[in-house]
Amino acid sequence: MYGKGLRALSISTVVAVAVSLGLVFFYAPLEAEQGFLQKIFYVHVPLAIVALCGFVLGGLLAIQHLRTRDPRWDMRSYVVIHMSLIFAVGTLITGSIWAKGSWGHWWVWSEPTLVSFLIVFLLYATYQPLRFAIEDPERQSRYASVFAITAGAFVPMNFIAVRLSTAYLHPRVLGSTSNLPGPMALTFVVSLLAMALLFATLCKYELTAKHTRAQIRALRRRLAGETAAPTRPRSAAPALQHVTTMPARAAGRSAL
Amino acid sequence: MLAAALAEIPALPLHTAGKYVAGAYVVLFALVLIYVAIMALRLSRIERDLGELLSMSERPAGVGGQDQSAEHDPRRESAPA
Repeated sequence: MYGKGLRALSISTVVAVAVSLGLVFFYAPLEAEQGFLQKIFYVHVPLAIVALCGFVLGGLLAIQHLRTRDPRWDMRSYVVIHMSLIFAVGTLITGSIWAKGSWGHWWVWSEPTLVSFLIVFLLYATYQPLRFAIEDPERQSRYASVFAITAGAFVPMNFIAVRLSTAYLHPRVLGSTSNLPGPMALTFVVSLLAMALLFATLCKYELTAKHTRAQIRALRRRLAGETAAPTRPRSAAPALQHVTTMPARAAGRSAL
Repeated sequence: MLAAALAEIPALPLHTAGKYVAGAYVVLFALVLIYVAIMALRLSRIERDLGELLSMSERPAGVGGQDQSAEHDPRRESAPA
């Protein structure tokens, strides 16, 4: 189900990442003030944008879960937030490397963009422990969805608040003050597209793997002749076994 | 021909901020690599599970305490999608 189109998506991602790297290092001109160090922005800013959009998307998927009560939406929300968290780690590390090269410090606490992103990251770092703390799968998915919606709404509010603040130290890539020349803008857009494709591909891999595991568990139960789903050990990941659709006829064929 | 093509490519000014740029891109590469390694572990686990299922399916009926009537329980066919 989730594996459909995975091959095409993977190939598109590899091509996009290769083109993006080629443009970054052999097409985009060197920036006048920062020079070669500015190349970090073609990986740092797309990582940040995709991570923040992923957090918001996780909230939207959680809304769909609360509306329909379908656990598959909870699984999608969980995977998207999980992947966004990994991208956020990448954003923080690459941002720190740039700050060290440009400002001479790994971290500057007086810079609102850095601190606000760290707050968002720490907020979402509590998502997995929250899920793990709740044993009942139904309650776990419901509470996690409420968290994802609330935190997802916080992300754009946080972004706007930082934009409205007056102390600008962090370079602006997009917005009214942006003055990126054509080749740089093209490289940035391609890098952003490549990062978005990478995000989508990794999410799809994750969903496919989880769905396959759930199907294997369901098939194992059927072959063992179990009628009720076993109580699973406590886990932060959503339970999919009660929604896995393995037609009994197909299971019967496997058994023969 | 490859040498000529490489000669045409402008040299990267790695002497200035090269280590920082390399560090940032290595971080991204490492994240993807770690993820691929995790996926490889999962894939091997799925392969092992499928092998177990195959051996379970090849067992004669009733050996593993299998209840054949449970296979055709209509209530289980109407599981939510």
